Amino acid sequence: MYEFLQYRVQDAMTPEPIAISPKAKLREAETLFEIHDFNGVPVVNEQRHLIGILTKFDLLKAFSFDFHTLIPHYDEIMEQTIETVMTPYPASVEPQLPLSRLLQKLVEMRAKSLPVVDEGRLVGMIAREDVLKALRRAAIQHETPTHEESRS
Amino acid sequence: MSTLLYTHPLCLEHDAGYGHPECPARLTAILNELKTEPFATLEWREAPEASLEQLNRIHAPKHVERIFARVPRHGHYAIDGDTVICPQSGEAALRAAGAVCAAIDAVLKGEADNAFCAIRPPGHHAEPHQSMGFCLFNNAAIGAAHARAVHDLERVAVIDFDVHHGNGTQAAFETQRGYLYISTHQAYIYPGTGRREERGIGNIVNVPLPANSGSAELRQAWIEEIEPALRAFQPQLILISAGFDAHYLDPLAGLNFCEEDYDWLTRGILAIAHEYCAGRVVSMLEGGYSLQALAASAAAHVKALMAGAGAV
Repeated sequence: MYEFLQYRVQDAMTPEPIAISPKAKLREAETLFEIHDFNGVPVVNEQRHLIGILTKFDLLKAFSFDFHTLIPHYDEIMEQTIETVMTPYPASVEPQLPLSRLLQKLVEMRAKSLPVVDEGRLVGMIAREDVLKALRRAAIQHETPTHEESRS
Repeated sequence: MSTLLYTHPLCLEHDAGYGHPECPARLTAILNELKTEPFATLEWREAPEASLEQLNRIHAPKHVERIFARVPRHGHYAIDGDTVICPQSGEAALRAAGAVCAAIDAVLKGEADNAFCAIRPPGHHAEPHQSMGFCLFNNAAIGAAHARAVHDLERVAVIDFDVHHGNGTQAAFETQRGYLYISTHQAYIYPGTGRREERGIGNIVNVPLPANSGSAELRQAWIEEIEPALRAFQPQLILISAGFDAHYLDPLAGLNFCEEDYDWLTRGILAIAHEYCAGRVVSMLEGGYSLQALAASAAAHVKALMAGAGAV
């Protein structure tokens, strides 16, 4: 576990992840979710600055009952742009953040993944699975002496 | 007047095993920083060994013997899951406690205004009968007891801004008159003590901070609780348990202090020290596990000590 304390977000994130434009349609996001099993897809402008995140919950939210129609219309809703349902100003982390701190943040926020941003620009995505993988890697790297071993 | 720096090469020999966060590189990072030009007027002194008499004011002779008996000839011995010792650990711990006692002697004799002890292993988790949390002997408590016993001081304050609560220092003081222990720390992390309700005989002030607290919460704690408690106590000497793991880059906890906070806090402590005890402050290293943040924060702290001594 000592090794884990030395990891930073940049050591475990998916660098330069797939992102989507705010003007893209929900249909495109749905396709991404279907292919990649993302928790959420970052929404960026032309300079790749992070402006939002579209999670699966945001997508579902577009289908929740409202006062426009009695029954939501699938094709119509899928034609809406991402920016109408995305979560704007999303939480993000810096690449230099210790991974142990990112772990706490995910737990506190009950977030499945977070965008990684360096000076406003999207540089990665970090998800629960990445942290679990890093924990496994750290545990394999070096076993520390235990109390019991010292006694024997 | 000047600021003294106490350290010893043996403090670099204490090694808790490959990859352990409380590693010799921590001290190297700080010492390298303190060798740079802005610190040219620091007066470096080699730490002596603490005497058994000094240790025994806090730790019972049997406990001290037991710890030394566990120092391995080769390899490592784990006192608990966190606290691992190597063949040099006993000697390093003696130099760490000895540094604090010697620094107190020097400051109280008027050889300098204040001092920083760049030492390891750290001490504030070490209880009178239990070594734990990377700590063997309680350097701060040993120093405070030394100041009271040898220099006839009546009131010694310890301020602990390590991100973890100093359960050991609290345990040493909570029934003893003449000591004030003030701690800011992150709530609900190791070692689990440090709740507000823990007040000793009215001489313990615990200020637990919620995760993600930073500069604003620290300043509020200082203004509303720490400074008033210090003034009420009127210390004759102030010791600082200087852990730098409340920094926003530290991997072991979740507070968000920055270098400027350590500078600000140190200046505040010195201002109180000038008011009540002729500026007499002895600070010692506790935790801090991001090498980069540790070196920068310790440098800010020492620079503020030097400024307080009129040496910068």
